[in-house]
Parts: sequence; C-alpha cells; structure tokens
Amino acid sequence: MSIPWVEKYRPKTLKDLIDQEEAKKKLISWLESWSRGKPTKKAVLLYGPPGSGKTAIVHAAANDFDLEVIEVNASDFRTATALERTIARTIRERSLFGKRGRLALLDEVDGLSLHQDVGAIDAIIRIVENSRIPIIMTANNPWDPRFRDLRNISLLIEMKKLNQRDVITVLKRICLKERIKVDTNVLRIIARRSRGDLRAAINDLQAIGEGRRSIRVEDLDVLIPRAAQINMFEIVRTVLTAKTPEQAKSVLALPSLDYQMLFHWINENLPYQYSESIEALAAAYDALSKADMYFGRINRTQNWSLLPYALELMTAGVAVVPGKPRFRFVKYSFPQKLKMLSRMRELRMVRDSILSIIARKCHVSRAVANTEILPYIKIIYKENPEYGRKILKWLGIDEKRFKSLS
Amino acid sequence: MSEALWVEKYRPKVLEEMVNQEEIVSRLKQFVKAKAVPHLLFAGPPGTGKTTAALALARELYGERWRENVLELNASDERGIQTIRLRVKDYARTMALGDVPYKLIILDEADNMTSDAQQALRRIMELYSRTARFCLIANYVSKIIEPIQSRCAIFRFQPLEKDDIIERLKFIAEKEGVSVTEDGLEAIWEVSRGDLRKAINTLQAASALGTVDSRAVYRVVGRVTPEEIREMLLLALRGEFIKARECLRDLLISYGLSGVDIIRMIHSEIMNPRTKLEIPDEARVELADIAGEINFRMVEGADEEIQLSAFLAKIALLGRKYRIG
Repeated sequence: MSIPWVEKYRPKTLKDLIDQEEAKKKLISWLESWSRGKPTKKAVLLYGPPGSGKTAIVHAAANDFDLEVIEVNASDFRTATALERTIARTIRERSLFGKRGRLALLDEVDGLSLHQDVGAIDAIIRIVENSRIPIIMTANNPWDPRFRDLRNISLLIEMKKLNQRDVITVLKRICLKERIKVDTNVLRIIARRSRGDLRAAINDLQAIGEGRRSIRVEDLDVLIPRAAQINMFEIVRTVLTAKTPEQAKSVLALPSLDYQMLFHWINENLPYQYSESIEALAAAYDALSKADMYFGRINRTQNWSLLPYALELMTAGVAVVPGKPRFRFVKYSFPQKLKMLSRMRELRMVRDSILSIIARKCHVSRAVANTEILPYIKIIYKENPEYGRKILKWLGIDEKRFKSLS
Repeated sequence: MSEALWVEKYRPKVLEEMVNQEEIVSRLKQFVKAKAVPHLLFAGPPGTGKTTAALALARELYGERWRENVLELNASDERGIQTIRLRVKDYARTMALGDVPYKLIILDEADNMTSDAQQALRRIMELYSRTARFCLIANYVSKIIEPIQSRCAIFRFQPLEKDDIIERLKFIAEKEGVSVTEDGLEAIWEVSRGDLRKAINTLQAASALGTVDSRAVYRVVGRVTPEEIREMLLLALRGEFIKARECLRDLLISYGLSGVDIIRMIHSEIMNPRTKLEIPDEARVELADIAGEINFRMVEGADEEIQLSAFLAKIALLGRKYRIG
C-alpha cells in the first residue's frame, strides 16, 4: 500500500521546507534561546492557512535541533483537566528515543470547540507557564478573542500562504522522485486550484498521478476546485465587539422574566395585533427573527453576553416599527407551540421510528427518507394498497403505524 | 409476498454497473486495483450515484468481507460528533479483515455537520488514517471546511444526462413488466432532471396507478410536494398572514417536515417555470433571495417557525408591492 505523499515528502530539515524564511528565522532563534537555557517566550503560536506548512516546519525544526516531538491535540480532550493531566504527564516522561531534548506540539488549538472545552484555554495557559520544554501551538486563525491571553504569553510566528511558484516547485520535485512525466501546465492548474494550500496540491497530485507514468491536462477533469469557506469569524467578531451595557442592565433588571416564554407569546400574538399593517408586521418579524438568531447563537456558544441584544430586539425591535397600526383591543391566545408539544412529540416518535427503518434500508438520513422516499410510499399505498402493503412488508414497517402517519 | 423499492433493488452492486460518471468510476477502479484508497470526498447533487459509488467501491475493495470492513454513518442522523468519534474509534481500533490494511468509513451527508463538528472530524480522520480511510459524501463542497477538503481527493458527480436516465428507466420498466409511454418517460425526466433516485421513485409510484404516462407522472409529482406549500404561498401573497401561518404549522407538525425541507420546497415552487402562482419574475427573484437567507439562518440553528413566519411576512410585503391577489 502506498503512503500519503504528504507524509512521504514531508521536509526532513528546515532547508527542505519551501519558502517561509521569516518564520524559519524566528523559530530558529527562539529554539536557540531555549538551548542557551534562557527562552525568550515559553511558547510559540504558529498560525497560517491550511497547508502552509505549520506541522511540517515544527517537525523539520525538531529534526534540526535533535528534539523529540510530543504531539498532543487539544481537540481530542473533552475537559480541561483531562487535557492538563495528559500534557503534564507526557512532558514529565523521559524521552524514549535518546534525543537531546523534547518539544511539545499542541496542534490545532483553534479546533477546540467552545462549549465542550470550557477552561481548555486557561489550562493551556497554565501548562505553558509551568512548562520546562518548548511548546509550539498551531492555529489557522489566532485572532479569535478567546485566544487573547494565549497570544500575550506566546511568540507569534506567521506562516504565509504559499505562492503558486513555490507550490509548483514542490510538485515538480515530487514528480521527479515518483518518475512521473508531467507538463508544467498541469502543475500550474493544480497549484492555482490549491490556492496556496500545499497539502491540497500534493493530495490532488497523488490522486491523479499515483501509479501513472505521465499526466495530461485532461486527467485533471476528475478533480474539482476546492471551494472557499464563508468566514464566520468576521461575523462573530462584529457581534462580540459591540457593547450596550445600559440596555443590558435594564433588561436584566427583571430577574423573574421568563424571556423564552415571552418570546413564544410575542410570536403567537404579533400577527393579531399587527394584522392591519403588513409593513409593520414584516418589520416586527424581522426583529423577532433576528432575536431568535441570537438565542440560537447563545445556545450554541453559551456566550450569555449576547442576551441583552436578543432581548432588546424581541421587545423594542418588535415594538418600534414603521407603519405600526394604532392601538386596538385584540384577544390574545396561548402559544400554540406550547399547547401542541405532547401531540407533536407523539407524532414525531412514530414518524422517526418509520423513517429510521427506511433510512437504514435505503442508505439515507431520516430527513432524506422523509422528503425523498416516504412521500412515494404514501402515494403507492393510497393508490394501490395491495402493492403498498408489499412494500411495507419488504421494509418491515407495521401497517397500522404507517397509517397513523397520515 | 414483499416488493422491494426499486431504488434499492436496482442499485448497482459494482462500479462497472454504475450509470455514467465514467471518469470517476475509472479512477475508483484504479484505487481498487492498487488497493490504495486515499480519503475521498464525493460531491454532487442528489441521485447522481455518490452513495452507490461508495458502496460499490467497498464491495470491490473487500470482496465478500465488505460488510465487516465498512462502517456506514449518516452525519445527519448521528447525534453529534462525539457519537461519531466513539463509533469510529470502536470501529477503527480493530484490524481490517482481509488483504486491505485499512477499513472504510462512509460518512454520508457530511455537509450537514457544523464547522465545529467538522474540526473534530478532521482530527478523527488524522488519528485513524493508518487503520481507516474516510469516504465523505456531500451535496456541496463549499460546506466542507478547507482542512478536510485539503485531506481528501475530491470527486464531483455530475447530474445524469437525459439519455442515461431514460435508458435506466426503460431497463427497470422492462424487468418489472411495467408499460411506459414515451411522454411518460419525458415527464419523469422533466421532473427529476439529473436525479436518478427521484426518477426511479417516480416511476415506481406512477406504476402503482397503471400505465406510466405523463398524466400518471404528474399526478404523482403533484402529491410529492404537499398542496399546503402552494396554498401557504398564495395566502401569504394575498396578505392573509394568519391563515398562511396555519398552513405552515400543519407542514411542520403533521407532515413532520423540517424548516429546511419547507424552504427548499418553497424555493422550487417559486423557481418552477410551470408554477401556478401568478407572480412577476422580479418578485420570484426577490423571493428566492429571501428564501436563501432564511435557509441560512435555519442551518445555523435558528427556530424554524419564527424564521419561516418572518419569511411569510416578507412575502406578504412583496405581495403588496406587486399587487398580487
């Protein structure tokens, strides 16, 4: 079996690592400061886009300095204490390989997911402060506000996005060693598509080139460009840097307010109160739907500082709208959503059990089973019950349960 | 007596049998031949053979022992990344059986994972890369985070050609002894486009009504999308918001549709050139834009009823702007 070329051709020494001269210089002088016993900083935060060589530079430097790399991935640990214990232990243990010293690599610290790793950042900071060996952390994006304290205690080293020429150079070297004849045009296309991600480029090259003697431009057709991501980071930052403490206080001053209940009530009754003005209704729903998005965000990230914004939107945002109809008396009702809860749950259980059966049998998710397969079975059953029953039998679905669905 | 769903009965078992996707098939065969499979990412619209290719690859790679060497997961159904992590861990811990030194983990609908979950997934991929290969399946590559894309060979599945679809339908109809008319086939193509799963399901459902002609096909299709979708749109356009919301609640509760399902159906209704909704083209484009925004919010975890209500209110506003109803 072949090994991934990304590993096979990983640079053994810093000299082999393409470009990134600035980063190399900084890293070397930092490691030298450790050799002299007077480290400038305890840790390095190495950051850059995917495939810029973060992991590669660490291994290459470790080789040059005769250090053993202890790799710990922060995102493998669910709690801060587990992380701390493991790192502390591995750092204490002695080298097995007779190397001169050791270096800890904390890969992908931005892979920590917020709610699962509460305290993980603090744990890492404690580890760094108490460490007697050099620690290198890697991240795609170090500018997350969560990393502020981590940035303060670390030397920041940037790995630049590689340019096309560098990527081509590396690809050429690999082709030479793999004895693949290849046109520079092919490599240029792969390099362009990789957008500076060398790992992506090498993987693409292996996917089309492995086991071949030559690659033509047409061979590239099976591979497709990797698509760009939407940077959620910007959006979150915009949210997090905005501050209106007065309003926050005024809302939080009502400690007995069940705002979730209030939210359902507003949703239920808003259309009755605003029914005379579509314009006002749309504006109010716009505010309410935005408040809802904040609630969703709070739920996911446990970032309760967002709460005042959500509360403000669902109250003031709903109330102060253009074209608001004049006051009139409207009878309000109890939120239907809360009333229907138990019936909904019952229905959902039956539906889910049926969908799970279809999902397993047809290699799809329950959601896809619900929209792409179940409707057809329903039609068949309704139009041709005998045939429908045979299909239910094949699936192993009880007919009575199935009937209760519609 | 039982009757299978044709989508399963006629799912190709080996790569050779796959409908079109020739270049992909030939690359996959080479992987099988060399017994060297990289991490894979199959991307493309529904019903183009992604899951079929993954399963066929598994069969050919492992032969009779494929079931023991393949773990099939659906990201939409597994409860969070922790479950996936545990299942993969348990699974990849044991050695592969047979002459291929790694197991295959097929993760379907991978683009439904949050980016947090995908971050964790990339770690899992790396941790178990010696004992397992991943085959991720997604509709959109853009919803897969870059570090994962970077670790995979990506294959794009194209929507199938008309000839491919029709030939396959004819083959199935003949095997099943179903009579199909030319305009029936044409109609199935019209409604399914390059989605073979939809085409075959439509064929089977229409066959339950008798001869598969265009009338039978459109009868089936008209009922796959609940009538309430159109009704809801119409009511909203006329400014009857409260009634429109009742339809919405029916769709969410009685039909058990997710918010994303509903918005997708709305979108295809709006963009359907045969739509019975009488709305000017500018309004259709504007609606599609809002639908996209609402879809995005729901994917991000927002409440479905609230977001769709906000959408209905915006439709009502558009209805007034264009004086509809």
